[in-house]
Amino acid sequence: MRRTITNIIVVILAFWFFQKGIRPEEQTETEFQINAFAHLPVKFDGRKKPIDTVARNLLTVLSSKQSVRTDSGEKIEAVQWLLDNIAGRPEAVDYKVIRIESLDVLSSLGLEERKRFRYSYRELLPSLTKLDGAARSAFAKENKSRDLYDRQVIKLANKLYLFQNVMSSFEDPSSIPQDQLLGTAQRYMQLENYSIPLVIPPTAGNNRWRPLMSTLLAAHPAMSSIGHDVDVSADPLAVHMGVMLAAYREGNVDVFNGELMEFGARIQTDSPAVFEKISFEVFYNRLSAFMKSAQLYLLVFVLSCFGWLFRKEGLLSAARVLMVFAFIPHTFAIVARVFLSGYPPVTNLYSSAIFIGWAAVAAGIIIEFCFRKKAGGIGNLVAGVAGFSTLLIAHFLAGDGDTMEQMRAVLDTRFWLATHVITVTLGYMATFVSGTIAVFYIFSGLFTRRLDEETEDGMYRMMYGTTCFALLLSFVGTVLGGLWADDSWGRFWGWDPKENGALLIVIWNAIMLHARYGKMVMHRGFAVMAVFGNVVTAWSWFGVNQLSVGLHSYGFTDSASFTLAIFVVVQMVICLAGLTPAKKWKSGTTQ
Amino acid sequence: MKKIIDFFLSLKLTVVLLALSMVLVFAGTLAQVDKGIWTVMDQYFRCFIAIIELSIFFPRTWNVPNLQIPFPGGFLIGTLLTINLVAVHAASFKIQTNGMRRIVGVAMLLAGILVTCGVMFGWGTAPVAATDSDAFWRVFLRLGRGTLAAVVFYIACVLLYRKRAGMVLLHAGILFLLIGEFITALFAVEATMTIKEGETVNFIDHSQRLELAFTEKSNPDHDTVTVIPQRKLKNGATIKARDLPFDIKINRYMVNSSQPRPLQGIPEALKENYPQYEGYGGRLYMAEMPEVSGATGARNAPAVDVEFFDRASGESLGRYVLSLWMYPNFVNRSWDMPTNLKVGGKDYATYFRFHREYLTSPSGSPYSIKLLDFVHEKYEGTQMPKDFASQIHLINQGDDVDRELRIWMNNPLRYARQTFYQSGFLPDDGGTVLQVVRNDTWMIPYLSCMIVFVGMAAQFVQSFSRYLRRDA
Repeated sequence: MRRTITNIIVVILAFWFFQKGIRPEEQTETEFQINAFAHLPVKFDGRKKPIDTVARNLLTVLSSKQSVRTDSGEKIEAVQWLLDNIAGRPEAVDYKVIRIESLDVLSSLGLEERKRFRYSYRELLPSLTKLDGAARSAFAKENKSRDLYDRQVIKLANKLYLFQNVMSSFEDPSSIPQDQLLGTAQRYMQLENYSIPLVIPPTAGNNRWRPLMSTLLAAHPAMSSIGHDVDVSADPLAVHMGVMLAAYREGNVDVFNGELMEFGARIQTDSPAVFEKISFEVFYNRLSAFMKSAQLYLLVFVLSCFGWLFRKEGLLSAARVLMVFAFIPHTFAIVARVFLSGYPPVTNLYSSAIFIGWAAVAAGIIIEFCFRKKAGGIGNLVAGVAGFSTLLIAHFLAGDGDTMEQMRAVLDTRFWLATHVITVTLGYMATFVSGTIAVFYIFSGLFTRRLDEETEDGMYRMMYGTTCFALLLSFVGTVLGGLWADDSWGRFWGWDPKENGALLIVIWNAIMLHARYGKMVMHRGFAVMAVFGNVVTAWSWFGVNQLSVGLHSYGFTDSASFTLAIFVVVQMVICLAGLTPAKKWKSGTTQ
Repeated sequence: MKKIIDFFLSLKLTVVLLALSMVLVFAGTLAQVDKGIWTVMDQYFRCFIAIIELSIFFPRTWNVPNLQIPFPGGFLIGTLLTINLVAVHAASFKIQTNGMRRIVGVAMLLAGILVTCGVMFGWGTAPVAATDSDAFWRVFLRLGRGTLAAVVFYIACVLLYRKRAGMVLLHAGILFLLIGEFITALFAVEATMTIKEGETVNFIDHSQRLELAFTEKSNPDHDTVTVIPQRKLKNGATIKARDLPFDIKINRYMVNSSQPRPLQGIPEALKENYPQYEGYGGRLYMAEMPEVSGATGARNAPAVDVEFFDRASGESLGRYVLSLWMYPNFVNRSWDMPTNLKVGGKDYATYFRFHREYLTSPSGSPYSIKLLDFVHEKYEGTQMPKDFASQIHLINQGDDVDRELRIWMNNPLRYARQTFYQSGFLPDDGGTVLQVVRNDTWMIPYLSCMIVFVGMAAQFVQSFSRYLRRDA
């Protein structure tokens, strides 16, 4: 009875936790309707999305956060930050959003190191030319001869170029004097070769998405005089948008709101399909299910640790309920991504992290219900630690922009994405789950007396079972990858680094099973081998991308190399700890 | 003798060999930071003794002594694993049935082999196979055929090996996969085909084989082409071809050469050692270069430094550099630089080019491909490619084939034992580059994938249910 009540309380708390932040603050008629503005459709990077997503992604790229905190401590949502910038509000240049961590870069730009490493555009303005020059000379070098400074300069410059391009695409050229018009037109044409937000949706007369600045420029009264034989009657949508931004700049609430409604209503009548999926995506953004699930998984892990070590069934049961409850929004968000992007769940490193986490939690739940009697709590521990860490990894991987990017032509085959990628990712997951159980096995055996014979046997069976699955999934996944290659360019196996990485996982799992069949290892040896499986998997998941060779290298970050190295070292230390003589083990295992 | 048998019967050997293969694969992956994929393949995987350089395990900026460590190569490990696998299975997985069951089992086994052969050699596929819709059903059907073979084999294994059926089947599948890859490594041919829009082409360029070709056009009915294969182009060799009125002396064979640049812009220090060439080499700088690495995605452009001698008089006709850079299909038709030799009143257009193979169907009749249209779609508002597609016209008069087809990303054309894949395009989307592969064992991975899957799944389901029963 007491347990039921506790569980109900846990569920209610979790529910409260998830609904937080979904509903935005109500805006009265005398305020800017920023929530409505967030729902405007944009085509950017080849995908239609709400401007809310554009704002969040851009802000994440610049500052690795989804909101801004002003000097006075006020919190500003991403969409308002974007609106302030594109409308040209004076305070926009003072938001401290550009994150520069490298001390070398900071000193070369004449900036002081500061807490949180975030700088405003105004602070950067004096040294922009210098940065541009440094970036150009770094670009000119060959990839291999770039040093750390070069790479960081390039990274920062790319962020700023992106920011500037987005800002320029919202320019209003109507006040540009005639003698500068030609230059502006050329600049805009060049800008259109880059990926910029296209905010003017297709209308009755025009079936393409267009950026604001060019559409307004085409309507410039002087354009016809420089030989452009175009229809100078202004595009009504562009005019609404232009006036809307100007009104926002001047603080005119009524005009802004009125133009915004007109803009929306006009799209609604001309091409209602443009608004499909838009509100759902805003909802998805506001839910931010992955971050919240991650926090709950951490709680699951902590609760289960205590529950398991001190054999408190109540804590374990609460953790179990919490785990399932965090799993539901996690699942929902993955389904939502599939619905929004139109692709199978795994398309890039970010989504692979999310999916591995999801599958690991699913595996944890299954383990928990299969082995509840013999080794209850282990499934919770696995789900908690795997769910938390993978979602954390995903959070750090999200800094590159839109995580629902369109696929390049070579990789765009939904069939193979749905079969090969899913299977091989599940193979990674199973290897990690087995390795995680092994880490718990070694820790609890070495430092606690919790690892009695029954628990040990249960954990060993879990490791063995997941390793079997890992071998099956990684083998089939790897071969399917080869078949994809065969189907795409006629080479089943090309020794591409990513293929090799997957092959290493297959071989390692095979070694583990053969060592067990040949009785070369018992419980403890198997656990040590499983921990090494973590190293092998992490290497082929992330390490291969660091080599930047081959067709598969789509994800690359510098700090990832370092994190990976730390991870490998830690795992190797755990392996060594697992090999210490049995008498040093607190549990004094029998094997 | 018994010791040797025991050695091959041991699971320890399996584990050791698998561990060695892991080291090899790991090293072969790291080596690709510096070296081209084909070099790595030859140095690590497709050989009996591999040479591993110590430096590949460390960041390239560190000064690591360049130790060369001999290591068992891919072929050696593969062979030993195969012996080990067969030996273990022969010794410990004896056929466990007799009588009627055994006869039926053997019959099923034969049926399985029959199905496998049928699937491998194109049962149920059209002679001209291209798809108009998505890859889904095509691949699904292929995997389905593989599953059919796997299930027949599994029934045979259950009849013959009872509980060990899954184990035997999955290892047989792995063996099948290894054999298939071995055959592919030896016999598969990779080539490319470059076609401009509106052009008809009847040959392919072998990617891994080169040749020196002399084309003489004085005969109004046909051109006379004399070809010197790559293997004869050795440093210092003199080649006397019967059909040519001159001899060819190879001064140097270069694995890679630099992209042609005007000679005026080259620093004096480099020009000092640059030989006096006739023809393009006299105006352009094309010097020897180190091999490209797999990391850059660039390709090697081999070249030869040759001198021609008039056979009658023994007089030198000039020293030339002939680089792959001068062959139009290597540079996606950006330019065309034939070296023209005038000997005995005849003109010889000379290229150092990819080995050229003219397309013929299995019945021996020649065919050709015309590119009607090339489509390069991008995502709206970006430069990111969304789709590449070639609309082609396949003509084989001898076999009465005359069809319009589409070759696009992940959707190749299979015809006459060749497979044509969409691979690249010419500048300004003016034409297409197709990857052409001939690999007669391409279905083996589909089959073995499903065989291993069925075997492994059966084995795991079996042991899992046994565990559940014991637990209950």
